[in-house]
Amino acid sequence: MSGATLRTDERSRLLVGTVLVVAALAVVSTTVFDLPVGAILTVGFVERALQAASPIALAAVGGLYAEKSGVFNIGLEGFMIFGAVAAATFTYLFGGDAPSQTTLWLGILGATFVCGLLSVAFAVLLVRYQANQIVAGLAVWFIGLGFGPFTAVLLWGNRNSPGLTSMSSVTVPGLSEIPILGRVLFDTSPLVWLAGALAVAAWVVLFRTKYGYWVQAAGENPEALDTAGIDVTRIRYAAVIFSGVMAGLGGAVLMAHAGSFTGTGDTMVNGRGWIAIVAYLFGNYNPIGAALAALLFGGLDMLQIQFQTAGIELPNRLVNLFPYVAVIVVLTVWGSTRMPSSVGEHYESEE
Amino acid sequence: MSDADSSRARALLDRAADRVFDLTVLERLALAAASTALALLIGLVVVAAAGYDPVQFLRFVFVGSFGDASATARTLKFTTILTLTGVAVAIAFRAGVFNIGVQGQFVVGGFTTVVTILWLAPMFPAGTVGGVLLMVFGTLAAVVAAGAYGALPGILKAYADANEIITTIMLNFVAVGVVGYLVEGAFRGEGNRAPNTERLPEYVSLPRIVYDNPDFSILGFAAALLVVALVAVVMARTTVGYDMVTSGFQQAAATFSGVDAERTIVTTMTLSGMVAGVAGAVFAIMIQGYYSDPAGVGTYGFDAIAVSLLAANNPLGVVPASLLFGGLDSAASYISINSDVPVQLIDGIVGLVVLFVAAPELFRMAAERIGLGGADR
Repeated sequence: MSGATLRTDERSRLLVGTVLVVAALAVVSTTVFDLPVGAILTVGFVERALQAASPIALAAVGGLYAEKSGVFNIGLEGFMIFGAVAAATFTYLFGGDAPSQTTLWLGILGATFVCGLLSVAFAVLLVRYQANQIVAGLAVWFIGLGFGPFTAVLLWGNRNSPGLTSMSSVTVPGLSEIPILGRVLFDTSPLVWLAGALAVAAWVVLFRTKYGYWVQAAGENPEALDTAGIDVTRIRYAAVIFSGVMAGLGGAVLMAHAGSFTGTGDTMVNGRGWIAIVAYLFGNYNPIGAALAALLFGGLDMLQIQFQTAGIELPNRLVNLFPYVAVIVVLTVWGSTRMPSSVGEHYESEE
Repeated sequence: MSDADSSRARALLDRAADRVFDLTVLERLALAAASTALALLIGLVVVAAAGYDPVQFLRFVFVGSFGDASATARTLKFTTILTLTGVAVAIAFRAGVFNIGVQGQFVVGGFTTVVTILWLAPMFPAGTVGGVLLMVFGTLAAVVAAGAYGALPGILKAYADANEIITTIMLNFVAVGVVGYLVEGAFRGEGNRAPNTERLPEYVSLPRIVYDNPDFSILGFAAALLVVALVAVVMARTTVGYDMVTSGFQQAAATFSGVDAERTIVTTMTLSGMVAGVAGAVFAIMIQGYYSDPAGVGTYGFDAIAVSLLAANNPLGVVPASLLFGGLDSAASYISINSDVPVQLIDGIVGLVVLFVAAPELFRMAAERIGLGGADR
C-alpha cells in the first residue's frame, strides 16, 4: 500500500515537472527562436491531431484491456497492419476503383472481423498453449510486415494500394457553427467520434461494472477470482480477442483516414502500435488517459504540416521522428508503470 | 522507485528463459524443425490459395537456396550478416534483456563504417595494405558507434526503468530516419541522383575466393564465425559473461552473489550493440560498398530475433539457424526473379516460424496426442 501512495506522489511530481518543462520550452522557443506559435496551433491542427490520434487510441484501449487481464499483447502493431490492409482489401473488393463511403464502412467492418478471427488464434496460442507473450507478439508484427504487403502485391501488383477513398467529415448542422469547437468536434471524421466513444465506454466498463472488476482481478489476483467461481481463462480470452479487434479497428481507421494502404518500409502503421503501448502506460492503464496520451502523439505526428505552413525550415524526415523521440522521453521520465501483478503468468485452474 | 515492479518484470523474464532452457538439445532441434515445417506448410497453403503452384514454389525454395554454387554463395552472404546480427540478439536475450534494436544498431554501424572509411581514405596509401587498414578502422568505428547506440537503451533501462523492448524499437525508427536524412543530404555522394553516399575505394573490399560473387567473400563468413567463437568464449569463460548469464537465469541469485544488476544490463546492451556494429560494417564493406537509405537495407536485425530464438539464444546455435534463414532469404531473391509469387510471403513465413517457436507447448501437446510424446518425461 505504501508503495502505491509513494508512486502517486512521484507521479504527480513528475507530471508537474513535465508540464513545467514543456511550458519553459514553449516560452524559450517563442521568445528566443521567434516561433510563430499562433500559426502552429490552429484549428486545422487540432482536427488533424484528433484524426491521427484515433487509431493509436483504439489500439491502446485494446492493449490496456489485455494487460489488465494479465496478458501482455505486444502484437498490437501487427494487428494494426492486418487491420489496415484488410480494410483496404475489402473496400477494394466491394467497391472497386472508386468505392463509396458505404463500402469504406463495410471495409472497416470486414477488417475488424478478420482481425477478430486472427486474435482468436493468437489468444489460443497465448492462453491455451502458453506461448511466450513477448516473442509471440513480436511474431505477429513480423507476420503482418510480410503478409500485409503480400496481400497488396497480390491485389494491386504493388506494395501500396491505389487511392481508394477516405472517410469524409460529418457536419452536425447548428453545432458546427460554434467557433473553434464546432469545427473540431462537429465537422470531423465520424471515426474520431467512434474512437472517443469507445475510450469512454471502455473506461465505464473497466471501472464501473462487475465485468470490469473481473478483468482487473484476472490480472491482479487470478486465484481469488477463480475461488469466486469466475473462469479466469475465459476472461483472458475475451480480453486478448478484444485487444486484437481494437488494434485491427485502429489499423482500419488509419487506412480510412489516409484513403489508401501503404506497404513499403514498415508499412503505413509505422510504429503506431508500439506507440499505443506507450500511450496506455503513459495513461496509467486508464482508457481515457490512454486516449489523451494518444492525442499527444497524434499532435506530434501532425506537427510537420504545421511547421511547413508556418514556414519553419525543418526537414520532414526529422520532424517525423518526433513521436518516437517523445516515446523514449516519456518512458524515461515516467519509468515503468505499475503492471498488474500477474501479467505474463499463465494461470491454470486447480480443479 | 519500483523495486517490486522490476523484480516482477525480472521474474517474468526468468520464467520465459526457464521455458526455453528447459528443453533438451534434441527437443530444441525438433521444435525448430516442426516450427519451420509448419510455417512452410502454411506458406504453401497461402501460395495455393492465391492461385499459384505450391509444388513449383517449394522447388524454387530449394533450388534458390542451395541449388548451385551461386545460390549457395548468395545463401552464405545472407547467413554471414544473420549470424552476426543473430549473435548480437542472443547476447542480450541470454542475459535476460530484450534487444529489439539490433536493426538500428546495425544501421548506425554500417553508416559509420562508410563515413569513416571515406574520411580516412585520403590519408592512407591506395592498395591492399591501405585497404586492410581502412577496413579495420571502419569496423572499429562501427563497433564504437553501434556499441554506444546499444548502450543508450541499456542505460535508460538500468537507471530510469524504461522498458527496453519499446525504447529499442523507437531507436530503430530514429536510426533509420536520421541516417536516411544524412544520406539524402549532407553525406550524399557528389552528383549522385540516388540518396547514396559516395562509393568506397576499389581497394577497400574483401577478396573473392572460392565463390565468385561480387557481394560475398568467404573471408566475411570466416570473420562472422570468428565473432561467434569470441562471443561464445566471453559468455562461457569470463567473469563478465558469467555475470550476464547468471543475471539472465536467476536475477535474485546474481544480485545476492554481488553482481551489479544495473551495470550488467548496460554491459550486455553495449556488447550486443558492438556485435551489431560488426554486422553493419561487414554489410557495408562486403555487400554494399557504399551506404544507401537504410529504409531499404533489409531487415537483418529483425530476422536476427528469429535466428536467435531458433538457436535458443546459444551463440553457437546461431550459425545453423542463420543458415536456415539465409537460405530462405536467398530463395526469396531467386523467387522474385524467377516467379511472380510476391516475395513478401517469405517474411511472413519467417514470422510464422517465430510464432511457433514461441509456443513449444503447441507441439508438445500435439505430439502427445498422436502418441509421440512422453519419451522424455
